[in-house]
Amino acid sequence: MSAPLLSLHAVSKNFGGLAVITDVSFEVPQGSRTALIGPNGAGKTTVFNLISGVFAPSEGEIRLEGQSIDALPSRSRIGLGVARSFQNIRLMPHLSVVENVMLGQQARAGNLAGMLTPISLFGRSKWRREAEDLLDRMGLSTYPGEVVATLPYGIRKKIEVVRALVAKPKILLLDEPAAGLNNTETANLRDFLMTISQSGVTLLVVEHDMSLVRSLCDHAVVLNFGRKIYDGSTRTVQDDPAVLEAYLGTRQAEKARTHAEADHVA
Amino acid sequence: MSGYWAGILSILAINVIFAYGIFLPVATGQLNLGGAGFQALGAYTAAYLSAMFGLPVPVTVGVGMVVAGVVGFLIAFPILRTRGVYLVLATFAFAEVVAGTILNSETLGGAMGMSVPAFIDWEIPVIVAGFVTLFVFYLMSTRFGLTMRATHDDEVVTDLMGVNIRMVQVCAFAIGGALAGLAGGLYAHSFSFVEIQSFNALVSIYVLLYVLLGGTQTAWGPLAGAAFFTLLPELLRTVLPQVKSFLAALVGIEEPVGPPDDSWRFVILGALTIAMMVLRPEGLITRTMIERLRFRRSSSAREQVA
Amino acid sequence: MLLIQQFVNSVMLGSVYVTVAVAFTLTIGVLNFLNFTIPTLFMLAGMVGWALAYWGLPFGLSGPLPWPLALFFGMCAAILASLLVERFTFRYLKTKYGDSTEHAIPLVSSLGFLLVLENLVRIGYGTDAQRFPGPSADLTMSIGGIFVRIPQVVSLGIVVLIVVGLTWLLKRSRIGRGLRAIAENPDAANILGVDTNRVVPVVFMLTGLLCGLAGALFAVNYGEVSPQMGEDIGTKAIAGMVVGGLGSIWGAVLGGLIVGLTEMMTIHFFGADTVQVAVWGLLLLTLLLRPQGLLGHHSIGKGKL
Repeated sequence: MSAPLLSLHAVSKNFGGLAVITDVSFEVPQGSRTALIGPNGAGKTTVFNLISGVFAPSEGEIRLEGQSIDALPSRSRIGLGVARSFQNIRLMPHLSVVENVMLGQQARAGNLAGMLTPISLFGRSKWRREAEDLLDRMGLSTYPGEVVATLPYGIRKKIEVVRALVAKPKILLLDEPAAGLNNTETANLRDFLMTISQSGVTLLVVEHDMSLVRSLCDHAVVLNFGRKIYDGSTRTVQDDPAVLEAYLGTRQAEKARTHAEADHVA
Repeated sequence: MSGYWAGILSILAINVIFAYGIFLPVATGQLNLGGAGFQALGAYTAAYLSAMFGLPVPVTVGVGMVVAGVVGFLIAFPILRTRGVYLVLATFAFAEVVAGTILNSETLGGAMGMSVPAFIDWEIPVIVAGFVTLFVFYLMSTRFGLTMRATHDDEVVTDLMGVNIRMVQVCAFAIGGALAGLAGGLYAHSFSFVEIQSFNALVSIYVLLYVLLGGTQTAWGPLAGAAFFTLLPELLRTVLPQVKSFLAALVGIEEPVGPPDDSWRFVILGALTIAMMVLRPEGLITRTMIERLRFRRSSSAREQVA
Repeated sequence: MLLIQQFVNSVMLGSVYVTVAVAFTLTIGVLNFLNFTIPTLFMLAGMVGWALAYWGLPFGLSGPLPWPLALFFGMCAAILASLLVERFTFRYLKTKYGDSTEHAIPLVSSLGFLLVLENLVRIGYGTDAQRFPGPSADLTMSIGGIFVRIPQVVSLGIVVLIVVGLTWLLKRSRIGRGLRAIAENPDAANILGVDTNRVVPVVFMLTGLLCGLAGALFAVNYGEVSPQMGEDIGTKAIAGMVVGGLGSIWGAVLGGLIVGLTEMMTIHFFGADTVQVAVWGLLLLTLLLRPQGLLGHHSIGKGKL
C-alpha cells in the first residue's frame, strides 16, 4: 500500500447553514485511479471545489503529500500538482485550442520573464511547441489553431483534460469526463485516461457511468447527502447495501439484491 | 500637407492611442467608461508643466503619462473589486470627479481652460501611435496577453490555472490609464489648448464604442475602430451634403439646400452601434477572421514551396 | 430658517431624481442592465411635450395643444421610444458565451440609442432651451414661513403614488411575480414558464412611463426644457440609485432624496460649481466602501461569476 497522495480529514462544508459536506475523510493513494461517485447532489463537485480551492472547508483539513493545503490560495494549488477539469466544459471560448493548452502551462511559466516573453509573435516558442506536441500525442493535432467554441463536445472534453495535464500535475481531478459522450467516445476516453494514468498521474474521477468507473478505477469513494457511505474496491461497490439504497431507495435496493442473488444462482 | 489633413492625422493618432488605453482593460473583461478622466489627467499635467515651467514636450507628455498610469494603478485596487455594472459606474464616476476637480481648480484654469505653449506637429503623434500599436501587439502576444484574454473569458478557471487575476487586471487597467494619459498629453500639445469641456462623458462613451465596435479579441480591433470612427465623420462631412441635395432633387426641390445638421453624424454613429450589437456583437474584427487570413496566407505559401 | 427652506427645496428637487432613479433601479434590478437611454427618454418627453404645446401636431394637423394633452403625448413618446429600445437591446440579443464583454451588449446598444435619440431631437427642435407654456410655477403657499410651490407639492404627491403603486405591482401582481422571478434567475424563470418576451417589455414600458412622467413634471415645475436636460438629471439619478442600492426601489427613493439634499447643501455652503464633485464623489465613495448601497442586496449587478 503506497502512501496517500491526497487525503481529506473530517472535512465539512456549510453554505449559510446548509450542510453540503459532512465529516468526509478519504485517501487517494499515489498512482491510483480513484472514483468519487454518488447520486445527484451528493456533494461530489463540492469536494472538487474544496480540493482545488474554489471554496475553503468549514471544518477539517485537506492534505497533499502530508502537507495541509488549506491556507493556500486557489491559484497556487495547480503549481503543487493539483489540476482539474470541470463538469460543464470550461475552456476559454475565444482562445484557440493551443492557447487554451498554453494557459495550463501557467503554473510553470508564470514568473515575470515568462509573462513578458512573446509566445506567439515570432514563429513557435518552446511553450507553443510543447503544447502542440502534447496535443499531437493525445491525437488532437488537427485542431490547434481553431477557436474552441466551434469544436464538437467530445473534442472539447479531451482538450480540457490536456489543458490540465500540461501543468504536469501529480493528481488530476476529472469532473464527469464521460458526460454527454456516446459509447465509442467513452471507450476512447477510457483508453486516453489509462495512458495518462500509466504515465504516473494519479486520477480522481467523478463519474456517473458505472461501467466506465468499473473498467477504469480500482478504488471508489461513494458520497450520499454529503456523507461518505462507502470506501473500497470498485468490484464490490455495487453489492454494498448502503450504496444500493442511496441510488435506488430502500425497497428497490431489496429487489435489486434478490435479483442479483437470483442471477448469481443462475 | 494641408492643415486640414495634418489635424486629422493628429487626432487619428491620438484616438488610436486612446483606444488602446481602453482596449487593455476591456480585453481583460473590465469595461472602462472613464477614459476621458485619464485623458484629462495626462492633458492637464502636460499643459501645466509646459505653461508653468516651460519643460520640453517629451518630459511633459511623459510625466502626464506616468501620472495617469499611477492614478490608474492606485484606483485600480478599490475600483476592480467591483464588477459588471458597478465597475462601469465606478469608472464613469471617477472621470466625473476628475472633471469636476479640474473645473474647480484655479491653478488649472477652471472653466476657462489653459493654453499650452509648446506645439507639436502631426508627425509626433503619428510616430508615437506607431510605437504604441507595436507595444500592444507585443503585449497581446506574450503570456501576459494570453492571461488577459483568459481572464476576460472566465475568471474562476483562469485563477485555478494559476494566474494571479487581480495582478493581471490591475496591470491592464494601469497600463491602459497610462496610454490614455499619453493620448491626453499629445492632445494638449497638438491643439495648444486644453479645456475640461473637451473631456466630457461623451468622449468616454465614444472611445469605448470605438473599441467595442472594432472588436476586443485582437489588437487589430481598436486600430480599426478608432480609424473608422475618426475618418467616418470626415467622410460624412463631404458626403452628407451631397446626399441631402440628391434627396432634395429626388423630391423635386430645385433651389440649393443648406448643409445638413452636424448632429446627423452622431445619429449615424449611434445607429451603427445599435446595428453592430444586433448583427455582430463581437465587433468588426474577430479572432477567427484573423486566424483565417493567416491560415490562408501560410497555406498558399506552402503550396508555392511545393 | 434658511436651512429648513433649503431642506424643503431639496426634497422637491429630489422628487424628480427619485422618479428617474426608480426607472434606473428597476431595469438593473430585473434585467441587470444599466440603461443609458433613461435620461434621453426623460428629455424626449419634455421636448415632445413642448413641441406639441408650442407648434401642435406635425404636418399642420393641429394648432398648439393644451399643455396637459401635450405632456400626455410626450409621455407616450417616451414609452414608445423605450419599447423600441427593448426591441434592439433584448429581443434580438443572443449571448453565446456569457463573458464580460457580451454582458455589456445591451449597455452599449443603449449608448447608441442615447446618441441617436438625443441628436434627432437636436436636429428636429434645435439645441436651445425652450420655455414650456405650462401653469405658472410661481404659485406658492407659505406654511409657517416656509415657501412651497404648489406644482411641486402636486408632483411630490404623484411621485409617492407611483412608487407605492410600483411596489404593490411587484409584490402582488402576476406580472410582478414574473419580474421578480427573472430578477432572481432568468434561466429558471424561463423553465418555470415565465414568458420573458412578454414580461421584459413591461420593464421597458414602466421605464418609459417613469421617465416620461419625470420629464413632464420637470417641464411644469421648472418651466423650461432643452435637449440637454437629461444629462444633469441622469447623473443625479444614477448617483441616487447607487447610494440607495442597486435594484431597490425604496433605496432609489431614499438615494434620490439624499442626492437632492447633498446638492442643495453643497450649493448653500460651497457654491454651484462644486455640485458635480460632491455628487459624483458621493457615488464613487458609495461604490468603493458600500457597493450594495443603503438598502440594496449585494448580489445584484455583479455580472456572471
